[in-house]
Amino acid sequence: MKISLFVMISSVGLLLAAGPAWAHHAFAAEFDQNKPLKLQGTVAKWEMTNPHSWIHIDVKKDDGSVVRWMIEGGSPNNLYRLGFTKESLPPGTEIIVEGFQAKDKSTRAVGKNITFTDGRTLFLGLSATESEPGKK
Amino acid sequence: MNYRLLASTALAAVVLVLLLAKGSVGQTAPAAAKPGKAWTPPRTPDGQPDLQGIWNNSTITPLERPKGLGAKEFYTEQEFVELAKRVRQGDVGKEADLGAANPQALRYDLSLYGFDVTKTSFASNRRTSLIVGPEGVVPPMLPEARKRNADRAAKNKGHEFDSYENRPLQERCILMGQERIPMLPAAGEGNLLQITQGQGWIGLLHETNHDTRFIPTDGRPHIPQNIRQYQGDSVGHWEGNTLVIDTTNFTDLVPFRGSGEKLHLVERFSRIADDTILYRFTVEDPTTWDRPWTVEIPMSQAKGPIYEWGCHEGNTMISTILRGARVQEEEAAQKSGK
Amino acid sequence: MRDWLKEPRIASLAVAACLALLMMPAAAQTPPYRAARAADGKPNLNGIWQALNSADWDLEGHAAAKGPVPSLGAVFAVPPALGVVEGDVIPYLPVAAAKKKANQAAWMQLDPEVKCYMPGVPRATYLPYPFQILQSQKNIMISYEFGNTVRVINMEAPTKAPGDSWMGWSNGRWEGETLVVDVTSFNEDTWFDRAGNFHSDALHVVERYTPRSADTLNYEATIEDPKVFSLPWKISMPLYRRVEKNARLLEFRCAEFAEELLYGDLRKKTK
Repeated sequence: MKISLFVMISSVGLLLAAGPAWAHHAFAAEFDQNKPLKLQGTVAKWEMTNPHSWIHIDVKKDDGSVVRWMIEGGSPNNLYRLGFTKESLPPGTEIIVEGFQAKDKSTRAVGKNITFTDGRTLFLGLSATESEPGKK
Repeated sequence: MNYRLLASTALAAVVLVLLLAKGSVGQTAPAAAKPGKAWTPPRTPDGQPDLQGIWNNSTITPLERPKGLGAKEFYTEQEFVELAKRVRQGDVGKEADLGAANPQALRYDLSLYGFDVTKTSFASNRRTSLIVGPEGVVPPMLPEARKRNADRAAKNKGHEFDSYENRPLQERCILMGQERIPMLPAAGEGNLLQITQGQGWIGLLHETNHDTRFIPTDGRPHIPQNIRQYQGDSVGHWEGNTLVIDTTNFTDLVPFRGSGEKLHLVERFSRIADDTILYRFTVEDPTTWDRPWTVEIPMSQAKGPIYEWGCHEGNTMISTILRGARVQEEEAAQKSGK
Repeated sequence: MRDWLKEPRIASLAVAACLALLMMPAAAQTPPYRAARAADGKPNLNGIWQALNSADWDLEGHAAAKGPVPSLGAVFAVPPALGVVEGDVIPYLPVAAAKKKANQAAWMQLDPEVKCYMPGVPRATYLPYPFQILQSQKNIMISYEFGNTVRVINMEAPTKAPGDSWMGWSNGRWEGETLVVDVTSFNEDTWFDRAGNFHSDALHVVERYTPRSADTLNYEATIEDPKVFSLPWKISMPLYRRVEKNARLLEFRCAEFAEELLYGDLRKKTK
């Protein structure tokens, strides 16, 4: 179906009026509230990228096979300012992710809560024992 | 009558009042300088007021005045202290707007990434709303603006997930929100602005989406009217120690609270203390509101640095969302036995 | 009156002076260009600049060639160029040389410039679009028209990056008339040109910006990447000031123009 470029451009250009970056519906459009999940796996890599960071984890299924999941997180920039670096979450670290699967049914999920196996929450939990975050 | 006793009591009373007025607000001293005592900003080597540095406009003060506060523009020092105390206990109350920092069901917990609601703050100028004036709200939209916005929404209705063109600009990494002008803050992160001054130009680099505006202060006119830009066209000049930036040439794809392409924005940056820039903007659009309205937000000096905030390069939002819509359509089609 | 030349000491002095002048290399007779000063006394690099070559097509010298889109004919053919690489050839390690060839063969699909991704350094300098230098004491901002890309060059004590980025991490200093910028902490995702020349995340670039006249700069970049190249190598080119009245960068938020190729296949199909 061909739509003239003019109509395509002029018909939308939606930008939420109140401004803040992460609008409700962006996440609600991307992840499925009917597909909550809890995953435990080992960190394969931590992509400190924007607009979202991604933790890649290897999750062992019941049959012994391994599935690679990508867990979406927040911007790393403030973590940098708190003193965290790539080395703060080394590959091999075991983490537990509670979140929701992506609506496209891929092995992507948003990581609503992430903890280590001892219950400490990620990043700020790290700071208590492992890293020395920079003072604000 | 013991005048000396009276005098010393009166003096003590005056001193006491002054001490209470100064308050024990601690780190959040009111930004406004005492009347009659203007603070002079340092100068750059070529003689301009120095606005350079990294600035943070984050606040939980709402854009519009909370219902019930009527025409009250400022909290008293005492009220402000109480509000701050409550925030430190984790309760921002109905006087605040956390905006996108409010918990969201389908998003990562912001506290994982350093957000701490007890460290948020109301604007240091003690305003009850970012919008100034007795009403403290956005003026009502003119009928033609309501129609224009309704038509746009109607065109997209039922097509919200057809294609990337139907999605909001922030899902496409074209404009995210906090960096677009006029600049409105969020309660959490993404609010850092770096200012650098060169010869006859001011550079404003917002961390969000690495949005950069280099603004000439050489008195040149705006670019031709037929060239429209997402962030408009900005020209600046100095009025005393205040940098005034005038912006026109917006496209019709960036409604600001419903505005159209005739939006005219004037921003003012005044460094009123070593660690504070007062950001004031006035917007007008005769096709949207019957009068201009003004917002004032103090920006405080922040510890940087600003880091690269690539968006488009790492954008999986739009592709996941569109793919998700296609998957759900496919499922619905299969269910209905097609 | 001419008797003083007959004086032996003066005559021999005159001869010596003539000999000295004849023997002086020509370059020593013209002092290096001294740029106008910024208010803080440093060379003034403020302004809008642009490269005027086809380095973005291919850093190495090459003849004109057919472009990848036949229907765009001569408009999108590869223009010829002498090349900007000193020594003419980029010194790839053998495995990397093969990857370069593969990149070049599939450049339309693989070149990050096509997708409007940030171009990295030094490519941002010689893209065919202007950029603007805004120079202050503690930092220098460079805004590139392509994709609203930006760099901040730290001019105070050098700092380290906490992670990788597209445009790298820039620490700068003045060496006489030259701005020297040391750039590290790149990701591996940018290319040097449309010919598939690439690097790894070990890339290290040192740029030198030297005014050569009121409206031109000499730009040099030394590129080092032990995972990809057998030796460091260097490019150089002039940069030209955009001198037209009211010259300025305009909005080129090209992400919008790459959306169809990136997301077009996710569009809802109609019957």
